[in-house]
Order: sequence, then C-alpha cells, then structure tokens
Amino acid sequence: MQDWRVFLFDEMDTNLETLRSIVTDLTQEIASVQLSSTSEAEEFRIKFLGQKRGLITQLFKTIPNLPKEDRRDAGQLLNALRKKAQSTLDAAKEQTRSHSTDLPEIDLTLPGRQNQWRGSRHPITLALEKITDIFHRMGFRIAKGPEIEDDWHNFTALNFPEDHPARDMQDTLFIDEGDQQKSRTLMRTHTSPVQIRMMIAGKPPFRMIAPGRVYRNETITYKSYCLFHQVEGLVIDEGITMSDLKTTIYSFACAFFGEDVKLRYRSSFFPFTEPSAELDIWWEIPEHPDGGRWMEILGSGMVHPNVLKAVGIDSERYTGYAFGMGVERPAMLHYDIKDIRIFYENDVRFLAQF
Amino acid sequence: MKISYNWLSEYIDHGLSPDDLADSLTMFGLEVEKTERSILSLDGVIVGHVQSVSQHPNADRLKICQVDLGNHEIVQIICGASNVAMNQRVPVATVGAKLTTENGKTLEIKKAKIRGQQSMGMICAEDELGLSDNHQGIMVLTGTSNIGESIEEYLHRERGIVSDASFDLAITPNRPDATCHMGIARDLSALLNIPPKFPDITLHADGDEAVEWIDVKIQCPDKCARYSAMIVQDVTVTDSPVWLKQRLESIGLRPVNNIVDVTNFVMFECGQPLHAFNYDQIAQKKIIVRESRAGEKFVTLDGKEHSLNDGIILICDGEQPVALGGIMGGKNSEVSNSTTNILIESAWFDTSRTRRSAKALGISTDASYRFERGVDSTLQPWAAMRAAQLIAELGGGTIVPGIVDIHPRPKPAQTIDLRISRIRKILGTKIDDFRVTQILASLGFQPKQQDTGVISCTIPAYRPDVQLEIDLIEEIVRIHGLENIGISKYSTLQLSIPLPRSEDRLREQAHSHLTGHGFREIYTNSLLPNDLAEQFSHEVLETNYPPVRTLNAASSSMATLRPSLVPGMLMVMQHNTHHSQRVLRFYEFGHLFHQSTDQATFIENYSEYDGLLLGISGPVQPENWDGNTRITDFFDLKGEVSQLLDTLRLNTLEMQFNNQASKITEYHITLYSNEIRLGAIAKLSREIQASYDLPDPVFFAEFNWTRLTLLHENAPDPTYEPVSPFPVVERDLAVSVDRSQPVAPMITALQKAGIPLLKDIKIFDVYTGNRIPKNQKSIAFALRFGTNRTLRDHEVDQFMKKFVNVLFEQFDATLRN
Repeated sequence: MQDWRVFLFDEMDTNLETLRSIVTDLTQEIASVQLSSTSEAEEFRIKFLGQKRGLITQLFKTIPNLPKEDRRDAGQLLNALRKKAQSTLDAAKEQTRSHSTDLPEIDLTLPGRQNQWRGSRHPITLALEKITDIFHRMGFRIAKGPEIEDDWHNFTALNFPEDHPARDMQDTLFIDEGDQQKSRTLMRTHTSPVQIRMMIAGKPPFRMIAPGRVYRNETITYKSYCLFHQVEGLVIDEGITMSDLKTTIYSFACAFFGEDVKLRYRSSFFPFTEPSAELDIWWEIPEHPDGGRWMEILGSGMVHPNVLKAVGIDSERYTGYAFGMGVERPAMLHYDIKDIRIFYENDVRFLAQF
Repeated sequence: MKISYNWLSEYIDHGLSPDDLADSLTMFGLEVEKTERSILSLDGVIVGHVQSVSQHPNADRLKICQVDLGNHEIVQIICGASNVAMNQRVPVATVGAKLTTENGKTLEIKKAKIRGQQSMGMICAEDELGLSDNHQGIMVLTGTSNIGESIEEYLHRERGIVSDASFDLAITPNRPDATCHMGIARDLSALLNIPPKFPDITLHADGDEAVEWIDVKIQCPDKCARYSAMIVQDVTVTDSPVWLKQRLESIGLRPVNNIVDVTNFVMFECGQPLHAFNYDQIAQKKIIVRESRAGEKFVTLDGKEHSLNDGIILICDGEQPVALGGIMGGKNSEVSNSTTNILIESAWFDTSRTRRSAKALGISTDASYRFERGVDSTLQPWAAMRAAQLIAELGGGTIVPGIVDIHPRPKPAQTIDLRISRIRKILGTKIDDFRVTQILASLGFQPKQQDTGVISCTIPAYRPDVQLEIDLIEEIVRIHGLENIGISKYSTLQLSIPLPRSEDRLREQAHSHLTGHGFREIYTNSLLPNDLAEQFSHEVLETNYPPVRTLNAASSSMATLRPSLVPGMLMVMQHNTHHSQRVLRFYEFGHLFHQSTDQATFIENYSEYDGLLLGISGPVQPENWDGNTRITDFFDLKGEVSQLLDTLRLNTLEMQFNNQASKITEYHITLYSNEIRLGAIAKLSREIQASYDLPDPVFFAEFNWTRLTLLHENAPDPTYEPVSPFPVVERDLAVSVDRSQPVAPMITALQKAGIPLLKDIKIFDVYTGNRIPKNQKSIAFALRFGTNRTLRDHEVDQFMKKFVNVLFEQFDATLRN
C-alpha cells in the first residue's frame, strides 16, 4: 500500500534542508519497523521502494528540482536511505523464510515415483566383462572372430592332425563338408581360431584375449548346453616362458577369485600348446566330506611350435603362451547356479537378480 | 578308462593309498575323474554272534539283540531287520566305525538310545558294506567265520572278495601308453623313482611248429605293420577263475569265458588289443590281411551285418573275412563253448586308418580306441605269449611251440635331440642337468648327454606321441612338477596400454543406455529348428537369403543357425508369460547368419554379423500411487530407438515407412544410411503374437550392429558449437489437416520454410475428436526461433504467416483458433 506522503513529495518545493529532515524522519521510521510476515514485508517494500509510488523512489524524483550544487549531496542521502530500507527488507525476508508456518502437507513415507523399471545385464555378460576387464588392465587387446569357422582355423592350424583322436575331444557341429578347394565348414568349438586369425593378420609381439561363443554338438542337459562362452588369451614375444604364463594366470586368479585363492596346476594335453597345464581352484563346499573340491577353471600352455609354424612365426625366436577358460562354469560357481540351462531360459525372475 | 588300484599295485610297490594315488595321477597328466571303492570302508566292522533276540518293549518293529563280539565282549544292539535271529553270525559295525554311505558321506557309529534301549553298534546289511544293492534285511554270514575277526578277513577267505578301488581316468589323446595298467605303472615308477615289476615272459622262437598250423600274409603292410599269431590247442572253454573275473569286474568289464577274458585281461594289462579266433573255423589255415573293397559285407561278433567301404583293414582266412582288423572280430570265427583250438592274433594296425574305419562303421571298441592312439609296435610277440600262457593255464591246453611273427616294416627307434638351453627358454626355470637326465631315463628315453649342451634321446616304441623336442620338455616338466615352476613378482609383459576398440566402447554405451531404460539383456540359443529359422529369414529383417543349416545336429531343435534374434526373444517372452510375467522388455546382442555368395564375411558362402535386438510388450511404465500405466505401443519403441541412436551419435539415419503387413509384421519402419540398410522397427503380426500366447502387442527393433559400428567409426568426432547468448522466441502453431495426412512431410516443409531462423520444431499435440470435423485431425507444433542477435516480434510473425501459407498450400491445412 502506498503512503499518502507521496502526494506531499510530489508537490514539494524542495530544498536540501527539507530533504535532510525528511530523510532523518524516514530513517527513524525504517529502524523502528517490525516485519514479521511475508505480507508485512511486501507492504514495506511497496511503501518505501515501490517502483511507481514508493516514498524513497518518489524522493529521488525530486532531485532534478534541487539547485545543481545540492544534487550530489541529496543523491548520497537518498542512496543511504534506500540501502537502509533494502537491508531491512532483506533481513525480514530472510527471517520469514526460515520461520514460515504455512507449509503444504507432505507424506514423506510415500514410495518414490518410478518412471522406468530397472534393466539388467545378463550374468554371462557380467562374467565376460569381469574377465576381459582384468586382462584388459594387464594390457591385453580384445579380439573377436567368426562363429562359423573352417576346419583349417579351428583344427589343422592348431595342430589337430586329420584323423587324430584329439578331434574327438570336442563334438563338432558341421555346416558343410567342403571340397578340394575349400576346407570343411563348422561351428567353432573353441575361441582358439581367433588366435590363428590374429597371428596371420599381424606381427609379433601379440597380447590379446578373444571372448566369444563356441559350440558343441551335444544334447542339452543340466550340465551341458550346445553352446557356451569362452575367453581365449594369447601372448607371443621373445623370451616368454611358462613361468610368465603362471605369473599371469596367478594374477588373474587373484583378481577374479580373491587374493586368498587356492589353486593348482595340473599337467594336461591340448594339441595347440605344449607343455600344457590345467588350472584348478579350490572351491569350498561346507557340506562336502572334504570341505570342498578342486574345480577345473582354465586350460593353458606354451604355444606349440607347429602352431607358430602354421602362421609363419619363427618358433626359435618367439615363444608364447595361450590359455582359455569357460565363462559359464565360473559364473555358475560364483552365483551358485546348478543348471546351465537357466542362463538361456531368461526367466525375468532370474535376470532380475543381477 | 577305468583302472583298478589292486591290479595296478601288482606292477609297482607305490605305497600310496587310493586317494593319494588318485591325486598323484591327476597332477601328472592322468586325470582321475572319479574314484570308486568296490567295497566301502570296512574299518571297525567285525564278525558278531547273535546270542539272543527279544522284542523291544516300546517298538513293534525293533528287536533287542545280545551280540558276542569275541574277547568276552557282549553288547546290546537294537536291530530293525525282520530276519535277525538267534545264533546267526553277522557283520557288526562297532562303536567308532565309520561307514561310507553310497552318496559318499561318512556315517559314524555311535552309542545310542533307541526308544529307551541302549544300542552299541549296528548289524549291517550288504548294501551298507558296499557289497551289493541288497537291503533286504541284515547280511547273515555263511561258511566259516570267527567271532571278532574283521569282516574283510572273512570276505576275503570265504568269498574271495578283496577291497579295491577303481579310477576313472580321462586319458588325453597323446598318451596311448597310459591306456593299460603296466603303462600307468611305468609312468608312476618315473614319478616315484621306484622300479616297476612286470610279468616275466619267455618268448617262443619265431617259426617252429606254429608255422605248420598257420600261414600269415600281409597284403597292406603300411596299414598292418606287424601280425603275430600263436596257437593254443586242446583247451576247455569255461568260466574264468575268480581272480580273473574280479580283475575284469573291477574295471567295469563283464566276464565272458576264460578265452575272451584272457584277451581282455592282457589288453588292459599291457595295452595290446588281442583277438582269439576259433582256429578250426579258419579256412585253409591261412590269415590274409588286406583292405576291403566297397560293398563287401561282414557280420561282426555282435551279430550286426555291415556293408563296408573300401580301405577297411580286413583279416581273412583262405576263403572269407573273419575280422575287422583292429576293430572287432567276426561271428563266423567266434570262440564258443565247444571251441578247442585257439588262434591268438596280436597285431599292429595303422592309427588313422583304424580311426577312419571305426568312424565310418560307427563302431568304437576297446581295441579301436587303442589302435587309433597308437599301440607299442614292439609289443606283439610279448602280448601273444602272455595270452597263450594264460589260456593254456586256465583252459588246460598246450601252446603250439613257436610264433608266426610277420613284421614287414619294422620301425627303427626314433632319436630326438634335446637342447638343454631350450628347456629353460620354454619353462623359465632352470632344472638341474642331472635331474633332467634322470627324468628322461626313468621314462625310458635313454638319454645320452652330448658335449654340445644337447641330450640325445631314443624314443621307446610305447611313446609314439613323442616326436619333437617340445614333447620331451613336456615330459620333463610333467614329472618335475608344474608346481616347481616359479611365479615371478614382476610381469615381463611389455608396457602397452590398449584402448578399448570402438565396437566395445559403443557396445558398452548401448548396454548402459538400455539397462538404464529398463531393458533386460537375454542370451538365447543360436541354433533353431529349421522351420522357425525359415520363417524369420524375412526381408523385413535383414534378409531373405536362405538360413545356414547344420549337417549333424544332435537334435532337430538345433538344425539351423539363427538368421534373426526375434524367434529367440519370442520364446523368452512366451516362457515369461507362462510364468505370469507381464513386463517384457528385452535386448540381445548376438551373431546372426545367412547363406550368401556375394556378401560372405569370413567364410566363403556364409554371411555372419553382429545383431542387436530390442523387444517390448506389456505395460509401458511401473504403476505408481498417483496414476495408471498403459500398454506399450509402437511409438514407445520408436522413441527408445531414437534415444538409443542419439546416445550412440547415430541420429542421422533415414527412415522408410511401411504400413503394409508382412508375414511376420503388421507394419514397420526400415532404417538406412546412404542406402545401406541398418535395421527395422516393427510391430509383430497378431498371428505370431497369438501363437506364442502373448497377451499384449509385441514391438521389436533389430539392427545390424556390425554396420552401425562401422557407421559410428566413420562419423567425425563432434566439435563444440558456441551456445548463443541471445534469447530464443517460442511460438505455437495448431492446424487441422486431413486425418490421413502423415506428419513427417509437414515437418520437412516447415523446416525448409523456416530457414534460417527456425531452430527447432516439436509436435506437442495430435487431436482427433468432437471438437473438430470427423475426417480431420489437429496437429500442434511448438516452434523455436533464434539467431545471433535478439529477434524482433515482427520478424517471427512473418515466418508464422509463411508457415500457415505453406501448410495450407501443400497440405490443405487450416489454422485453428
């Protein structure tokens, strides 16, 4: 609400003295004002500082009517007054804000609004990511290859001789029989052909891992599926030894299973590595009579000279190691999954747990 | 392959318990997959004498027995078996005894009170002792038994049963020498440094009387390098003695008669497969080894007739084939109960030929298993003689003196040079030279140290797999122990920091985006039934090229490779619908395949690429307390797709709209970039939706992820465009148009007319209903104008007028309000 005094100021025949006494009065008035609510503060603002008819605003408008030599002093007087009014107003606003009593009612216990469901990555993706991430940090490059492969990349180049029982180690799903010009076509039985593709495409040194899907021509049961996922690793350089292989695998196992992992290396056989070793980790099972059992996790070994020969690498100069591990098996151990088929059934109640 | 603990122990004094032995075998490359005790643990089980039996006062079915355990110890035992009676001799598990139950758990016998009566042990049934599956009452001992003696003593004396363990070994293809007990003993002797004890056999001289009995000719010496024949005459074919039966049963073989059992025994003893012919059925006293001709017929021992391919090794007499060499004998020369003269065949057949023949015939036998891997080529006379002696001994016959040993192609022993420096280069660990030589010697490689840092090795005939220097290094580390190769504290890997490939980075972004948008990732089978694969080889999806079929799938449900991710997802939706899940929001990454001669990727005639599928059906949002949700529609998915592509910086794709129904879709949009097809967004046909029992409409978007990745790789990195400091002017424009008018061309027209001031255009309302004519719809656009200065109202007004004109002229649109 505007103050009636504005009309006085409108018509005032001004001089500096009058102005000074008005300012003194207003200063006292402002100092004595009590502003205890938002509405009172607003009233105060309109009365003194209102853009159109505020008392102080109006006094500023009288400045041009003053003698030239007094205008500067008048300006200073009025500015000080305005500042005083403004700070009183600000203080009051600050106070009323913190003391406000007219809040709307709110039930904070209501659940938060959900505009979207939670999505989830498949546990096989999680396990694959965990494995590849560890090796990636060790400086391994990720490589990928096709799932339809030819016999040469999947077997021959990996030192599986034709008509050798080693080929029975993996039940193979064939696509075509090939002919004189063309090797047989099949679904890759392991990710190892990616090694061959990488070594042919590049030059040593190599340090790579190849995650991917592999196939076995087996009927589906709770413990075997017609396909599964593998991560393959390969390191080729001068001076690489079996001790380096063990060091890398040990570092991996500590990162993946924890620093207190208990493991053992067993002599084994893979056509494409020699010497070959399998890694078992000790898995605690409280109800087991021995308190746990050894679980096969990973196959590995020094790359066989015949493999290096097949891809044109001098095995006298370069040595290297390779390893491969299934993804489902550690994931089943980790998540306590007893039936491999659950991964491929994709029940939402299963997926929602990851 | 199974081996027996007791049998193995005949050839080496290893001093290890079954568990420790299994551990050692496993660690040095002969993995024990399973250990089975033929008799479960019997410690603390003794012979007791039932002195009296009385009824338990508190239980009808239980009896109180006073049992004499010897040494003046008489205990009370509660027994539930109906056949327990006074004066029986019974096996008693005394307090403290630990029985191993069938499922491998340990049952410890304790003092107990059963219904108020004390029980100091357990009277056992046969199954509880691991003797049989019999649980029909307690075991009542017959014959002589001594009160208080251990049950093992009793079983051994009265029944000839000895406790044994069998190991199921996973023999790797490189270890033909380990397919028999002597071979494993030989390996153990190297590991433990204990000499083996092999049977002492005196060989008969080559020729002699045997020559008059049989004539052997080998017509294919490269397929059959050796054929040794011996004859035992006047034998009686009968059951084998208990010890022989036990040997065979301990490794899971069924005893047949003393002749067949001996051939099996010798094979599992020394690794040489043998065959026993009924000598009197061998026409003209002749054995001819030759390759088969295509179309020849032959009936094997099991009574099956085979039509042969060419190249199968045949053992023939003077008239006809009598055996498939290295695989199986023939019906026509089988040993029967009336057979009196036996011809023993001990031969060496080629590895790959045996394997190919066995595969072609679909037969795998213990013999073919060994020939495929490679049998010791020097062993034939030894094995023949060993079998002849046993047959003569067990069948009461006499050995015809001499052996017919045809050996057209003796293989000279191979020598391999091993560089000592190479061992360290491969293993990274120094193994003492003396130790290296010792290991090689113990494995039979006859190492000879040369001055030049080379050890020269002679390869024994039982290790045909050892052909290269690296094979010897593997042998050394196998015996030396992998645990003795050190682990380094420091990596020897070169410093190299590979950045993620752009495909992996893009995929990671897609994973994060989609899971953040409520999609669940699924993994489905890449193998589909053929009709399903055919159905989804459709041009709405990637292709109508034929799908890729497999040749030999174990099941018809995995006959064909998936051409699309859609059928897999529909099965997942169906499964979840059947389990009362209504919220179906899935995505999958996976390889897709089709036949192609012009677009082949890695392998000739086949195209393979990465696909990405999004699929949604059911409610669009979770239900909250202040509102209702609705069922997902096409524009929900279209919006998800635009946001995903935006996240991946692939938002410049062109769209082709298609309202026509196809066999699999009701309508769809195809996505392109520079005329390259990248994917489609579609509504699934109602028929297919219904056939998967899905209650709500299904929408899916399938992308060629490989092509999207390439597009992303080729796109330039974004550069910063300074943000305009000048305000934008916002205006709305609502027009009525014919109901069938698509909105996209209107937007294009406005964008064109709005150059250069129109910055953005959005549709904020599409209305049909009572407030406008029936055949019309109202479309409301929100327009934003801006430039590098403050715009004046009249400038924007001019554009708005222009827009009204454009929409009127091109689309017959009238301004609303």
